[in-house]
Amino acid sequence: MSNEPNVIISNAPWKKPLPNIDEDNAAFWDGLKKHKFLVWKCKKCGASYWPKAYCQNHENEPFAANMEWAEVSGKGKIFAFNTHHMAFDAGFDDDGEFIYALVELDEGPLVSSTLVGPKKPKDTYDIGQRVEVVYEDHPAEGFTVPRFRIVD
Amino acid sequence: MPKHPSSGKYAIVGLGVVAGAQPGRSERMIAAEAARLAILDAGLTPKDIGGAIDLRRSGGGGDRANYTDAFSRVLGLKNHFYFVCGRGGALAGLGIATALSFLDRGIVNYVCLMGAVTDWSQAQESKKHGHRGMDHAQKRGYWGKPLGDQRAVSHHSWMAARHMAVYGTTSRQLGAISVAERAWACKNPEAKMYGRPITVEDHQNSPVVVDPYHLLDISLVSDGGIAFILTTADRAKDSPKPPAFVLGQGFGEVSAELWWDKKNFTHMAVAPAKQQAFGQAGITLNDIDCCQFYDCFTAEVLFQLEDYGFCKKGEGGPFVESGAMAPGGSIPVNTSGGLLSCYHLGDLTGMAESIRQIRGEAGERQIKDCEVVMTTGHGGELLSPGMCSIHTCTLLGRHA
Repeated sequence: MSNEPNVIISNAPWKKPLPNIDEDNAAFWDGLKKHKFLVWKCKKCGASYWPKAYCQNHENEPFAANMEWAEVSGKGKIFAFNTHHMAFDAGFDDDGEFIYALVELDEGPLVSSTLVGPKKPKDTYDIGQRVEVVYEDHPAEGFTVPRFRIVD
Repeated sequence: MPKHPSSGKYAIVGLGVVAGAQPGRSERMIAAEAARLAILDAGLTPKDIGGAIDLRRSGGGGDRANYTDAFSRVLGLKNHFYFVCGRGGALAGLGIATALSFLDRGIVNYVCLMGAVTDWSQAQESKKHGHRGMDHAQKRGYWGKPLGDQRAVSHHSWMAARHMAVYGTTSRQLGAISVAERAWACKNPEAKMYGRPITVEDHQNSPVVVDPYHLLDISLVSDGGIAFILTTADRAKDSPKPPAFVLGQGFGEVSAELWWDKKNFTHMAVAPAKQQAFGQAGITLNDIDCCQFYDCFTAEVLFQLEDYGFCKKGEGGPFVESGAMAPGGSIPVNTSGGLLSCYHLGDLTGMAESIRQIRGEAGERQIKDCEVVMTTGHGGELLSPGMCSIHTCTLLGRHA
């Protein structure tokens, strides 16, 4: 864990597309608001999934009955990333360049979000850095989005 | 290798193409016109057409959503069935597989398959409102939308980036794909980029859109429509144009293994599709005279060259840099200019070119003694956080 606080509070108006919160991922988004990073875990073998899925290691019960949302560290490493130089949606017009990364969580699943913080990969070939989740709270909107930052 | 009994039993006998900007025309009118041209090309009349399949990107834009406004009704086809089929850019391959079922059971004698888009015209409208590109076709509900995953390039560029990081592929090598396709387009008067050759330096100097992708790694936004007529091999004998026989088809899904193995960022679901299609046709890669690969972005071409086995995995970069897919190369790829330099009508762009190559109608870009052509399609949804897509492979031959 780095010494930097892992919470960003933003009161700026949200102009981007809204998160797609539905019955399959509502618990995940609730977890983010509580600054917990949840993955969908098999009670029998411990395999982790994100997003929600039936466990691939078993003939599972209806509606994935042996699965549950479980808190994990929110740590992982960069699997691949790109750098957006242009906005294609008016909500991103003021963002400037940003890095959109695929993160391989320590538990296995891939999750994507933008990188925050001062550390950046030096080029496309520079992957594998350790990252951790940063919770970006939007109190006025009632949701928290996950970001990642490089910690090594 | 023995052929599957279905191989060569069906053929494409008519082709209709409406290309170039179509301002002021709706998708359904472009669709109807392409279908009219295909019926004429097949030497048929509308009353011969037993059914129509509307090849449409699921989830995308389009003004043909109301079934009563179907292109088939506009054109006056008095058919037995009309329905929508397609997944992203995987249109023609899925449509052919579906149509064969109706022909096989003698339900109809001829099926008209058609796809049309007005992306370019709609993008011009979007521009007036200060938005860029395909704003009208914006999909909703993806995980990454609020986080910056605004367009296809936002996640497709991960594939190029991952391939670069894992295998050492370079942007200049991806540029070689763009340059090769442009060289083909310069032999095709119908191509948007006809008469506008480029170099790798031009590729490198084109604006960086989403690094590692430059503007010249990204496919075109187009208007147009392509229709074709499918029938049985015995009826195809009476066709005025040389039939293009369906030798084999195969399908693969990223969601089967690649997604779970996290290989979907460096591989496409080629393996099962190749095995099925080539197995049915009883041929090998050596029998392929040219490929029309789905090329929404440059890296997809690289993946397919590797995954089909034209070169080893990870060696696609040097392979394309050697000029292998360009005019005069060992395996001509996207001889019309493809989605990168001809026009973007999903896999119908490649299918139309394959039909023309089989017929010997490809003009200056005609492949000599072209016997067997491979056409691929690709399309899907953004299953968080990576593309979950289908890969379709269709083999057409000059002889059954």
